[in-house]
Amino acid sequence: MADGCDMPPGKPMSAEKTVIDKGAEMLQSLKPLKHFKQQFCSFALFSHDPIRQIETHHFCSRLNHDFHQCAVYNSDSTSAQLIGVEYVISESLFKTLSPEERKLWHSHAHEVKTGLLACPRVPESLYRKEIAEFAKTYGKFWCTWQVDRGDRLPMGPPALMASPQGVNLGWVRPDLVKKRDDRYGISAAELREKRADIEEPDTIEGSNADYWVKCGKGFSVDVVETAMNLRAPFP
Amino acid sequence: MAATTQVDVPGKPTETGTAVLDTATAAIQNFHPINKIHQHLCAFHFYGDDMTRQVEAHHFCSHQSEDLRQCLIYDGDGPDARLIGVEYLVSEELFLALPEAEKPLWHSHEYEVRSGVLFMPRVPGPIERRALEQVCRTYGKTFHFWQVDRGDRLPLGPPQLMMALTRDGQLREDLAKDVESRYGVSFEKEREKREYMEGPAKGIHPLANGAGKGLRLVLTEVDLPPVSSVPRAFV
Repeated sequence: MADGCDMPPGKPMSAEKTVIDKGAEMLQSLKPLKHFKQQFCSFALFSHDPIRQIETHHFCSRLNHDFHQCAVYNSDSTSAQLIGVEYVISESLFKTLSPEERKLWHSHAHEVKTGLLACPRVPESLYRKEIAEFAKTYGKFWCTWQVDRGDRLPMGPPALMASPQGVNLGWVRPDLVKKRDDRYGISAAELREKRADIEEPDTIEGSNADYWVKCGKGFSVDVVETAMNLRAPFP
Repeated sequence: MAATTQVDVPGKPTETGTAVLDTATAAIQNFHPINKIHQHLCAFHFYGDDMTRQVEAHHFCSHQSEDLRQCLIYDGDGPDARLIGVEYLVSEELFLALPEAEKPLWHSHEYEVRSGVLFMPRVPGPIERRALEQVCRTYGKTFHFWQVDRGDRLPLGPPQLMMALTRDGQLREDLAKDVESRYGVSFEKEREKREYMEGPAKGIHPLANGAGKGLRLVLTEVDLPPVSSVPRAFV
């Protein structure tokens, strides 16, 4: 089990409530969920505080060749906590973003090539082509529940996440990686050897991705009071 | 289909080979956190600083406990629906235990449920009402990451704190009629049947719903330690 709360706050589901929910569930089609087809495990850093690192479990659905949308959890068990959302886009879509927008996105090449990103239980050969393509994509990841600092409920605004990078502050702690590797019986080091020949993405002019590496600045998100634009009284 | 601005997500169509592979790997992996999602709720959110901008929000929820739900928010309920945000729902008890500074980020559900506007597509009234009796007493915290209502083809900009309807006159009539006609529901008729439902036992907390104020999320660049400042850790 990844770091975080073991027991969710609140009472376990009562039999009565479970029956009510089951009755309703059988009648609903839940179509968008049927499109979650990719699952992988990796690591992320908080962009405002990269010393804080978390293990992540992405469940992704592909809207088209260039775009994935992912629900991110802190484990792959039934008690996993929903900790955020990540969007993954191809190089060509990334190039359409403004320089300011690009600052909020991170690259994936490092975590792919170093074996941090893994698809447990799936033979590497099966997804080799996809992982090579993934190495050239960019992600935007908002974390809504900071379980690593012990929050029993999601507190505060979302945090912008960054990806592991090949600089000291961007390396993932070996104990976190070992814990993950041992759980799945895999080895990041072995994956790194297998992926040595995966191509790096092209350097993009004015990229601004992984902004913190180049400019030493992360992003914090703050809540600010303002006048609400109304069409009726509130609340 | 959602009433929000219908634009295609940019990108090339998924290749057949990719789709086949996705299905094969999906069969090997477990999707426990996704498979646990069992409930579809439809409601409306508006921006925490702008009530005039309203979004049809499809919630796909799982129970972490009887007192805590976590939901993926989509802009529709079809296979191409866009994942636009997340919502967490907590019981009154859990909400009251939140720090005072946290409470304004949460909204009440009493009005949405009692007015009939929040509903469970395809679930017959009697079952739906049993399930929603509990929702009526909960509080929610919602963030959106993709401003589909302004036509964004990709998720751009900072995250958005969202709020929920709290009284008559707030919901845009055109959005309401569109949902009613697509799902064959009548909010007015359902409202009559839900008159018996009760909101939070202690009444809606005065700090909920932004404490009555507009709230906005702001991104700020923050200085980080130099990227070389941490002793090199090996992946």
